[in-house]
Amino acid sequence: MSSQTDPAAPADPSRSAAAALEAKNLAKSFGAFQALCGVDVTIDAGEVVALLGENGSGKSTLVKILSGYHEPEPGGELRLSGADVPLPVPLNRARTIGLAFVYQDLGLAADLHVVENLFVGHRVTRGLGSAAPINWRAERMRARRIFERYGVKLDPSAQVGRLRPTSQALLAIVRAAEELREYREQHEQSGGVLILDEPTVFLPENEKVFLFDLVRRVTDDGIGVLFVSHDISAVREIAHRAVVLRDGAKVGDVVVNGVSDADLIELVSGHRMDRAAIERATSGATDAAVDAAGDVALSVKDVRGGRVNGMTFAVRAGEILGIAGLLGAGSEDLPYVLFGDETGSSGEIAIGDWSGDVSSLSPSKSIKLGMALVPADRKQQGVAPDLPVALNMLSLSLKNFVQGGFLRLDKLLATANQRAVAYDVRPPDASLNLAALSGGNQQKVVLARWLEQGPKVLLLHEPTQGVDVATRQQIYELMRMRAAEGAAIVWVTTDFDELATMAHRILLCAGGVIAGTMAPPYSRDRITSEVYSISARGAAAVAA
Amino acid sequence: MAGAGAGMSAGTDAERTAFRRGSSRIFSARTFEASLLPIAFAVLIAGFSFARPDTFFQWTNFTTIFGLNAVGLVLVMALLVPLTNGDLDLSVAENSGLVSVLVGWLNVNHGWGIVPSIIAGLVVGLVCGIVNGWIVVQFDVNPFIITLATGSVMNGIAFWLPNQQTVPGISTKLTDWTVIHELFGIPLDFWYGVVIMLIMWYVLTFTAFGQRALFIGQSREVARLSGFRVGSMRFSGFVIAGLIASISGIINDGVLGSATPGAGNLLLSVYAAVFLGMTTIQPGRFNAIGAGISVFFLAVGVNGMNLLGAQTYVQSLFYGGILVIAVVASRLINRRRAASAARAAT
Repeated sequence: MSSQTDPAAPADPSRSAAAALEAKNLAKSFGAFQALCGVDVTIDAGEVVALLGENGSGKSTLVKILSGYHEPEPGGELRLSGADVPLPVPLNRARTIGLAFVYQDLGLAADLHVVENLFVGHRVTRGLGSAAPINWRAERMRARRIFERYGVKLDPSAQVGRLRPTSQALLAIVRAAEELREYREQHEQSGGVLILDEPTVFLPENEKVFLFDLVRRVTDDGIGVLFVSHDISAVREIAHRAVVLRDGAKVGDVVVNGVSDADLIELVSGHRMDRAAIERATSGATDAAVDAAGDVALSVKDVRGGRVNGMTFAVRAGEILGIAGLLGAGSEDLPYVLFGDETGSSGEIAIGDWSGDVSSLSPSKSIKLGMALVPADRKQQGVAPDLPVALNMLSLSLKNFVQGGFLRLDKLLATANQRAVAYDVRPPDASLNLAALSGGNQQKVVLARWLEQGPKVLLLHEPTQGVDVATRQQIYELMRMRAAEGAAIVWVTTDFDELATMAHRILLCAGGVIAGTMAPPYSRDRITSEVYSISARGAAAVAA
Repeated sequence: MAGAGAGMSAGTDAERTAFRRGSSRIFSARTFEASLLPIAFAVLIAGFSFARPDTFFQWTNFTTIFGLNAVGLVLVMALLVPLTNGDLDLSVAENSGLVSVLVGWLNVNHGWGIVPSIIAGLVVGLVCGIVNGWIVVQFDVNPFIITLATGSVMNGIAFWLPNQQTVPGISTKLTDWTVIHELFGIPLDFWYGVVIMLIMWYVLTFTAFGQRALFIGQSREVARLSGFRVGSMRFSGFVIAGLIASISGIINDGVLGSATPGAGNLLLSVYAAVFLGMTTIQPGRFNAIGAGISVFFLAVGVNGMNLLGAQTYVQSLFYGGILVIAVVASRLINRRRAASAARAAT
């Protein structure tokens, strides 16, 4: 197929002439970085358009422009059902112009009941005004009618937190569709666009059909759907057209039925490996076999917990093992399971001379065994922002600074200042509160904290997320050095460029299991292509 | 008092300099903040001294204040570890009241010796702390509401034991060793409080335990992934609180020579003191010495107003008002520090 834009022919010429959504020349840059460069998207009434692209391709930037979170560069245009909408979209007012969003986290209140979530903001009362009593019976009946209309089986009085993830997703979509229906009634409008941002990531494969059925019913009303997803099989199932983004630019706009999975994956990952990638792959990572000749530092057998559903692998001392998987593949839970921080885990694990069951691990025990975990969520799990850099950096080593029963704060600070210089933390003043540092420098402090322990096994989860380019290189260099000194590193990330640069060996993860080992040479495009293929294959296997 | 205060702040200055080397602008702002409470204290004393030189500005008045407020000084120390851990313990005042009644009841109504009675009181205070900590940690429930409830239970037991009566005539030995014997002209119970304050200051500032507690108070997630035993740390916070609260109850028996169930309005005043203490010595952090100074700031304020002829309801107004001011002030200090730190980095 041709990679050039297939002039987006209307899905069905008999449908209304005005497209539900017509965006032209949407662009956004952050400083020198061009996140989105002049992208056009059209969604016809009643059409499902998939938005595909790997992490950092500009998908979320596009969605955030539509939601009003980002202000696009001047020159962009947005038309909804033929009517011009001035940009930027007013933040949190997207509903009033006929846009509704369902994000991956669904935005439901888990402790409240289904009706309460469904009618949040517009309750059924016995009169006017927010002081009037809520008519619960009428609300439940109305909720039942709504669910019936969408063909969804949900109990209006159930507590949302106890519903299955699939039912929660259905509820969130019904709520968004109802918002659109109300908008249409109030404005006597047609059209309306529902934006689904990665709604299937955490759903079991065999339950996705319910979601697809619901989306079809929604489009039957003439609502257009933008379906943002990594999930090629879901896209194939539900979408009429697919818009593919890569590096902020539109690289494809294809009718899904007219292309194969391989074509789509090729569009997402890029056609051929570029020169730089080949050079990187041949210079950096191919001597992996030589590097990884050390003893096995960590081995796991049939480990389960969270979305990890039976993984077996081993890492040698001095080896950087990359784990590549899409969000929801289980790789994102792996570091926490191995660190003993996920309840209900099971499986055998051996760290150096010690071996036992994963369930017997706790973070403190893992640390004693020589493991270190750099979590992805730095704000929530990595740092205490209102405490000084010195304390953040040396929080695991406090005992080393106790002399004569007193914690020597002066020595603690002096050591932290030395480390700040050694790790190039800027400013190199360990007495500052951590919040004063930039994201990259905060991450250096987190790394310094763990490296201070001299860990035998380093578990890294998205270690360069939100980190500037220069710091990223420093972190890479630091990790290469640690590996050369004999540390085993498990590197879990969805940044495949990073994996191609750093990993000696790459395991592919899908559906909670290790679905394969990738053969070198490594490049971002090849990893992307393999990961998408393996995810699509896994989904097909379940469907069969 | 003034001499003791100066000696203590000199020690913390050294610690502060250790953490603040190289940023003189922040240092001076911090010094200003940290000296607000001492300045207010000095103004308060000067004002009352000017207005009531014969009754207020007398050494005996000050020794009385020191002797009578040791109960509050000890009780405020009970709050520090839980608060640093990010936990509120609202049961400390009731715990103190229960232990005070129990010791009197055992000593007077049951003829126990004063020493066994005191030991029983300490054990019960400790058990109250263990119960609080166990419920909060084991069932992962909000300590605010749990300690409010357990405090009510303790209060009920305190009324139940002596059949709602005051227990008079507690062994004079206890009184001797709290308010009669003096050191440097100040009753012994004040020095007990000072010793506990110094221990708490040491524990929170100069031990790994105290520094880990800071992390737990900031982020349980970070602390957990750092391998800190968050559950047992929080548990021990409640246990320490229970033990120290029981000591304050025993001192109360010594000061009054009797035990009255449900006496006193200590909870609000100790919370006012602990938050007020956050504005000085180590601004932005719960700290023992700041809290100790604040106890006497409040006590001097109430004492002076009484001497000016104010009614007892003024206490409620004063404690409540100060608590609001102290919480807002410590919040502002933290916010300003964050802003100036951000400026320093850019």
